[in-house]
Amino acid sequence: MIKQYFLNTWSGIWTVLVGMKITFKHLFTPSVTIQYPDVKVELPERSRNRLYVNMDDCIGCDQCARACPVSCIEIETVKSVPGDEVGKTSNGKKKALWVTKFNIDFAKCCCCQLCVFPCPTECIKMTSIYEFSEFERDNLLYNFATLTPAEVDEKKDSYAKLEAEKAAQKAAAAAEPKPVAAPAPEKPKEESSNN
Amino acid sequence: MALKTEEMVLNMGPQHPSTHGVLRLELELEGELVLNVRPHLGYLHRCFEKHCEAMTYPQVIPYVDRLDYLAAMSNELTYAITCEKLMNIQVPERVEYIRVIMVELQRIASHLVALGTFGLDIGAFTPFLYCFIDREKILSLFELTCGARMLYNYIWIGGLSHDLHPDFIRLAKEFVQYFKPHVAELNNLLSYNKIFIERTANVGVLPLEAAINYNITGPSLRGSGIKWDLRKNDPYSIYDKFDFDIPVGKGTFGQVGDCWDRYFVRVVEMEQSLRIIEQALEQIPEGDVTSALPKRVKPPEGTVYARTENPKGELGFFIVSNGSLNPYRVKVKPPSFVNLTVLGELCKGCFISDVIAILGSIDIVMGEVDR
Repeated sequence: MIKQYFLNTWSGIWTVLVGMKITFKHLFTPSVTIQYPDVKVELPERSRNRLYVNMDDCIGCDQCARACPVSCIEIETVKSVPGDEVGKTSNGKKKALWVTKFNIDFAKCCCCQLCVFPCPTECIKMTSIYEFSEFERDNLLYNFATLTPAEVDEKKDSYAKLEAEKAAQKAAAAAEPKPVAAPAPEKPKEESSNN
Repeated sequence: MALKTEEMVLNMGPQHPSTHGVLRLELELEGELVLNVRPHLGYLHRCFEKHCEAMTYPQVIPYVDRLDYLAAMSNELTYAITCEKLMNIQVPERVEYIRVIMVELQRIASHLVALGTFGLDIGAFTPFLYCFIDREKILSLFELTCGARMLYNYIWIGGLSHDLHPDFIRLAKEFVQYFKPHVAELNNLLSYNKIFIERTANVGVLPLEAAINYNITGPSLRGSGIKWDLRKNDPYSIYDKFDFDIPVGKGTFGQVGDCWDRYFVRVVEMEQSLRIIEQALEQIPEGDVTSALPKRVKPPEGTVYARTENPKGELGFFIVSNGSLNPYRVKVKPPSFVNLTVLGELCKGCFISDVIAILGSIDIVMGEVDR
């Protein structure tokens, strides 16, 4: 009984000393912490942080928005009218849509990278910028669209005008041969709205 | 005759460092003795299962990461295996190897947190720091591969999002060599420390029969002395190609199934994971990791259940598909939740300080308990 007591005491002291030896050894190993705001870790090339959209290449296909599990990407597009020069992407695709709205809400974004893979022009990318905290949540809503509000209105107007012209033309074309038939003018209208 | 006193009800948590998240324990005490423990859940409930019904199959993967956020790779693997079983996809050999390497690295990382925080709960602060240094190295490997440190979205249905980084194999081999002596160091520092043994041996003994009746899985079950590991008993992926042992609790310092046994099973499991990683790194074939990725994940109608051995225990997904792009129902069988149910049984009649030790030894993650 007494022997056990002393054995326990001894093993208590001894195992603590063994542990102390290990901690003592670690005193002389290089430090693993860094002084963060002054020193920064180098991120690997695949690191996933804030998204960046290269609007020159964006064709407004909406595939990234559909892939997003938290619906943080919001895209609105307007069709270009003939004569408009929307430009080309860097891989030579001709753009047909004006991207009037391209908002990413980084308050919602979970950096899962699901939006990056379906992009046909590789214009949406994960960057290594991770210091973008804000005091107001609204400031985390990033607007990537390059058009000014006036330009957006202009594009919308010109497209609406084109649509109206087309509808009027179709209605006139449909109305001329059969002026009496009632459902005839209805049909082109439906088609034009599908366009 | 002892004086009859009124029982005291004490709330431990939800904001308590030793409850590993937002778990509230309602303790019925008589002095220092615990008469009953009632865990209260739901503080971290995020409607995972219902939310999945509104997601497409690939969109569920980022949410799956957030179940057991300390072992996100393992969750992804289980979900991917379940969907692949439903869609009948055969993944390339290289993908299987990479998956096994990732999941075993994740097992080490998860166990390092479990062991570190277990020591921290009991009062040993230093091992916690050393464990986190080693875990950091694993997270850097993951960051190199897929860009994220904790929530990877790396293992996809039918493949992987990226191939390995060219440096990965070299760095992983370096890590294995680096980490081997650290397990022995952890043993000397914590496992065989007399104070630690006194706090954990013969505390919270979980008899084998009770463990099976409560459906305990993972290291907590093996600590009670039964060799039950899905990697051996129901091999998935390519685990049948590797040579490794399954550690069980032997009751080295007390009865079989005490806290120390459950703790030590995890330590030995890390060594076995290193063995698997070493073999996999040697045998890994060349190939394309994205070749089997389906263009659209649209499984046929049907139900499927698949399970894997996660660091915490047996994780299973039950998916009902109605042939559309979204799952009709996703049910999770989480190991942490099931393992938590035995807490009341284990804590009956022990001291209040032992509750902390028992809770730490069954290693729960609240993200998985509440979902």
